[in-house]
Amino acid sequence: MRGRPNLYTSYSSESRLFPTRTQQVAIGIAFLLLLLMPFDLPVIDQIPLIRFLGDNSWLRIVNRMLIFCIAALGLNILSGLGGQVSLGHAFFMGVGAYTAVLVGGPGSANLWGWGLPIWIWLPASGVVAAVVGILVAPAAVRVRGLYLAITTLGLVFIGLHLSRVFPEIAGPGSLGRKWPKLELRLWKEENPILDFSRDGHWFWFDISDNQKTYYFLLALLTVFALWAANLARTRTGRALAAIRDQDVAAEIMGVPETKYKTIAFAISSCYAGVAGALLASISGQMPPEAWDLILSVEFVAILLIGGMGRVSGALAGTFFVVLSPRFVEEIIEWMTKQAEGDGAFSGLWDSIISLGSGDFGIVSISETALGYPIPYSALDEIIYGALIVIFMLFEPLGLYGIWINVRNYWKGWPFSY
Amino acid sequence: MKHLSKLLAILLAFTVVAVACSSDDDTSSSSTSAPAATEAPAETEAPAETEAPAETEAPAETEAPAEIIYDHGVTEDTIKIGAIADLSGPFAPLVVQIIAAQQAYWDRVNANGGIAGRDVEFWVEDNAYDVPTHLERYEEMSDEDNGVVFLSQSTGSPHTAAIAEALVEDGLGAIPLSWYSGWPDPAFGQNVFESYTNYCYEAINAVDYLATNVIEGEVKLAVLSYPGEYGQDGAAGAKIAAEALGIEVVYDGEGAVVPGADQTPVITGLTESGANLVWVTTGPSLLAELMGGAAAAGFTGTWSGNSPTYNYMLLATALAPMLDSSYYQSTYVLTWNAGDTPGMADMVSALQEAIPDDPVSDAYTIGWTEAMAAHQILEAAAAAGDLTRAGVIAAANATTVDYMGLAPNQSYGGEVNDYIVRESYMFDIQADLFDAAATISGGGSTGSVLMNGGPIVSDITAAHVYEGACFTAG
Repeated sequence: MRGRPNLYTSYSSESRLFPTRTQQVAIGIAFLLLLLMPFDLPVIDQIPLIRFLGDNSWLRIVNRMLIFCIAALGLNILSGLGGQVSLGHAFFMGVGAYTAVLVGGPGSANLWGWGLPIWIWLPASGVVAAVVGILVAPAAVRVRGLYLAITTLGLVFIGLHLSRVFPEIAGPGSLGRKWPKLELRLWKEENPILDFSRDGHWFWFDISDNQKTYYFLLALLTVFALWAANLARTRTGRALAAIRDQDVAAEIMGVPETKYKTIAFAISSCYAGVAGALLASISGQMPPEAWDLILSVEFVAILLIGGMGRVSGALAGTFFVVLSPRFVEEIIEWMTKQAEGDGAFSGLWDSIISLGSGDFGIVSISETALGYPIPYSALDEIIYGALIVIFMLFEPLGLYGIWINVRNYWKGWPFSY
Repeated sequence: MKHLSKLLAILLAFTVVAVACSSDDDTSSSSTSAPAATEAPAETEAPAETEAPAETEAPAETEAPAEIIYDHGVTEDTIKIGAIADLSGPFAPLVVQIIAAQQAYWDRVNANGGIAGRDVEFWVEDNAYDVPTHLERYEEMSDEDNGVVFLSQSTGSPHTAAIAEALVEDGLGAIPLSWYSGWPDPAFGQNVFESYTNYCYEAINAVDYLATNVIEGEVKLAVLSYPGEYGQDGAAGAKIAAEALGIEVVYDGEGAVVPGADQTPVITGLTESGANLVWVTTGPSLLAELMGGAAAAGFTGTWSGNSPTYNYMLLATALAPMLDSSYYQSTYVLTWNAGDTPGMADMVSALQEAIPDDPVSDAYTIGWTEAMAAHQILEAAAAAGDLTRAGVIAAANATTVDYMGLAPNQSYGGEVNDYIVRESYMFDIQADLFDAAATISGGGSTGSVLMNGGPIVSDITAAHVYEGACFTAG
């Protein structure tokens, strides 16, 4: 009986995190690649994508992506698992970020900051955001759907207002203030025990600040992803799924709706808070305007593109949304090089890329002004917008849905109709 | 779970082996980030040359030395400089024009033989006005293998502040596209080479000039501004001027103009205050809202504001007659085709050749002068025989940038009070000079007419001892 797909003989085996051998091996290999990615190692650096991402600038984007993954997992618990729409995710990220800077940031005559170490400010950012989530929950659990979206939307603007009322915490508008770095100290001593924000030497390796940050974030993301995946298997997860699928029925069955929605809000906010603190920390300086509606919408887009309700969907969506603009840019740059050269297909590329004024083409690398040909800085936004529309219309399950289709095709092969 | 842990154990073992096997290889390949063996050719030349700059610096300036040392961003035939610009965010319309002027400048430099026989490669990346993206772009530009030798533009205050520390670590210099009065403070941005004066000094100059020369009778000042670094820096300057001149501030709206909010309370406060001079530090659309609202309520005072508050395109709106009669434009640089200086004639003719079909705009001067500053700094570095990043920084600190009358000349070295720029410009608005459809080829005007025949500087600004930003948080 073993090894047959979709045949489970007990609940525990069905709800295992990685039920099949194939999945275990795949996860193991993927994790190994992730571990080795930032290094110029033989063999590994021959794998094109991996090598590509090991670059310092790319690594910074990957780091941002890891942080966005944590935040997206948070929203996934609320929206994907609990079925509650939220446009207030950026607000909770902001709460986390400002908790971090208040607890861990340097204080001055004009700015409040206690300068405490990371093992206090990072958990604090999650806890405070969760508490704020619980405070907001009573207002939010009373409404559903569109009304909930508008209610949570209000939070973003309340947050922006508060940042102006308390410049002692947020720093001056449009300038912001310095965030504590990713450095591990026992207390306020001069030299950190572990410093993720500076180049250094670990074991036998020279390791750059971005590589160190990458490992730190990867470890955190692993913890948060396992937590999120496990949550779906618990009583809370089942209760949330019941509420999502039919809240009235869930309540009749004895699932206390208010309690579980509040829990979902708290956990989701906690994820957002930690992500916000990390994002601000690796950025060093953030203006209060950074925690705006666009950021919230970005996470909704991540879940729509990746697929709601699945950890892998949230991760794939983030991967796609954060990295795709740069991939588009790299591809256009590559196409431009091809068009400028005289390879076999240079004519084809030349018909797409405009090389200078007067040259025919849809996309231009040298043009910066909006218009025709389209400057590449605008192109990724167009593609991003178009993809959201396309996913909503044709693949509501997102990237996860595409994966399911592909998997089912090969599972049933050669009878895959 | 048992299987899983076994699997993980095997993977871990494999990792350790892989890591151990490759450690030899890795030390050489990963050391690209450290200044070491891989870049041998350029580096090894350096020691032989280290004493050279000192000798060549004395005769220097006119003739480039035969050998120029360089490290990152420069080769035997190219000099790579970068701009991290907002091409798709809120300031894109202006920044795109600023970049266009810079590009035209570098194209001309290259057509005339470049710098020290090297072509200048001008590399522009978009930050979308987002701090994390700015940092990612910076990482590309600061790369030791493929990066640049100097950043001729870094758009945005928080963005530039976010890279300020890294600039010092990487030994890279940058010109910010932001005029916060905090930049000259060495503690804030040692390798940030600000251009022109700042929001604060500009406000002092303008309020003093208007109170003395334009307003008749007793001056009653109203101050309206955005909250934050830009708005409150300008407002702080206006108040410094008011205090020194003994002007009563009848309405203090510092930080009261919140974008997106209802401006009725501010407009009511202004019109009821009896002010006859209004100093505004906002953006063009809010200026229009405030002026329109106040005019509807019967307000007839004189208006002026920090440079980014005004945009000549407002003259294409119904506000034009009111701007003509009661607004005075303040800037750090000359506006398009205004003022009779060699720099302006040069820029206008060069842009007429490079981008004849683009619309006229005041933004070109900013991009053009940014490029002038970067050009003169790089020329000085080349003349000193040192085009390393450190050499460029040293050259910047030793150069006085000559803007040929487009802006007050600028230097960066020595004591801050000796080099900080204190002059700004005032313009009268004449709406009939402006045609919204005008293109560069026609020359034309954006409707701004220079007052005072050149830059203005208030006695208060001249005597001001710079100790840090006029406005800090809290």
